Amino acid sequence: MENLFSLSGIPALIGWAALLASPWIPRLSQWIAGVICPALLSLAYTALVLGFWTRASGGFGSLADVQLLFQTPQILLAGWVHYLAFDLFIGAWIVRTARIDGLHFTFVVPLLPLTFLFGPAGFLAFTLIRAARGTLQPSV
Amino acid sequence: MTKSLTLAPSSDVFSGLNRLRHDEPGFAITGFLLALATPLFLAAGSVDDRLHLGINNWDKPAKFAVALSIYLITLAFFARYVPASFRQKTGYKIYSASVMFAVIAEMIWIGGAAAYGTSSHFNTEIPVLAAIYPVMGAFATLLTSACAVYAVQIYRNKTVELPPTIKTAFVAGLGLTLPLTLMTAGTMSGMNSHAVGGTGLDTNSVTLIGWLRDAGDLRVGHFFATHALHGIPLAGLASYFMFGANTIWPVLAFSAMYCAFVVFTFVQALQGVPFF
Repeated sequence: MENLFSLSGIPALIGWAALLASPWIPRLSQWIAGVICPALLSLAYTALVLGFWTRASGGFGSLADVQLLFQTPQILLAGWVHYLAFDLFIGAWIVRTARIDGLHFTFVVPLLPLTFLFGPAGFLAFTLIRAARGTLQPSV
Repeated sequence: MTKSLTLAPSSDVFSGLNRLRHDEPGFAITGFLLALATPLFLAAGSVDDRLHLGINNWDKPAKFAVALSIYLITLAFFARYVPASFRQKTGYKIYSASVMFAVIAEMIWIGGAAAYGTSSHFNTEIPVLAAIYPVMGAFATLLTSACAVYAVQIYRNKTVELPPTIKTAFVAGLGLTLPLTLMTAGTMSGMNSHAVGGTGLDTNSVTLIGWLRDAGDLRVGHFFATHALHGIPLAGLASYFMFGANTIWPVLAFSAMYCAFVVFTFVQALQGVPFF
C-alpha cells in the first residue's frame, strides 16, 4: 500500500506541473491535468473501492462510521487518491475558467498550491476573486 | 452480375468505428464502454489479493467485459446488413435497449459478486445471488437472442449488397449461435458447475482463457458455440476467396462441421475429459 501511495503522487505532481506551465501549453495542460491524470487517479480509486469496500467496516452515516471506514488502510488510501484526483480536476477548471474570465495567470499561480494542499480553500479563494471582479456566473 | 465484397466502406479505423456507432449506436457504445472498463477490473485485481476458485477474484469480470464487448461490437458490425427500416422501428429500439440492459446487468452481477469475493454463477450459499442466478440466465438468453434476430433479418434482406457466400456465412454464423449456446450453456447451468470431475479449482487451467486441464470443462463448448458468429463468417470469407462469390456449399459444409465440433467439445467435457 505504501508503494501505491507513493505511485499515486506521480500523476498528481505531473498534473500540477502541467497547470503551472499552462500559459505555454494551454491545450496540452488541460489534457494532462483535466483529463488524463484525474482519470488515472480515478482508475486507482475505483480499483481500491472495488477490491476493499465490501470488506471494510463503517459507512457514511455518522462521523464515527466514517472514522471506522478509514481504519481500513486501502479505503484510507482510496480517500487520499480521491483528494488528489478531484483537487487536480478543480485546479484544471480554475485555470480554464480564469483564462475565459480574462484573469491574468499571475493571480492564478498562488491559487494552484492552495488548491493542491487545501482543495476547497483554493476553490473558495477563486470564487471570491470572480465575485469581486464581477465574472461569477454559473455555466449552463 | 456478381456482387462485389465490400465489408468495410473505408480502411480508416476511425471511419470504421463511426460506422459502428452510426448503424447500432447502443451496441457500439456499450461495447466500447466495456472494452474501456476492462483495465478497471485488471487494476482491481492488481490491488485485491483475494482468490476465487484458486484464481484472482477479478479475472472473471475482466474476461466477461472483453467477451461482451467483442459480442456487442460484432453485432454493431452486422447491423449494417439489417434493413435500416427495421432498425428504426420502435419495437426494435425497445428490444435492443433491453439487450443492452441485460449486458449491463450481467456485468454488475459478475462485478458485484467479485467485490464480495464470492461466486456469481452457481451460488447457492447467498440467498440473493441464488435468487438472481435464474434471472441472469434469462438475461443471457435475451442478449444471445440478438444473433437470431439479426440472422433472420439479414436472410430476409433482399437488397443487401453481399455475395451469396458471405451472406450465407453471416446468416449461418448468427443463426447457429443461439441454439448452440442454449445447448451448451443451458446444460452447464442445469449441472450447477462448469467442471466435470477434477479438483473444483481453476488453478490448473489454460493461460488467459482459463479452461481446466484436470477435468471436463463445459465452458469450452460454450466458447465455441458463442463464437459461431465469428468462426463461420470468417470461414465464409476464406471460401469467397478460394471458391468464389456464388459457391455456398463450402460454407454449409463448414457450418455443419462447426456444429459437430461444438457437440464434440461438449460431449468430451461431459465425459470429464479436458480439451487440452
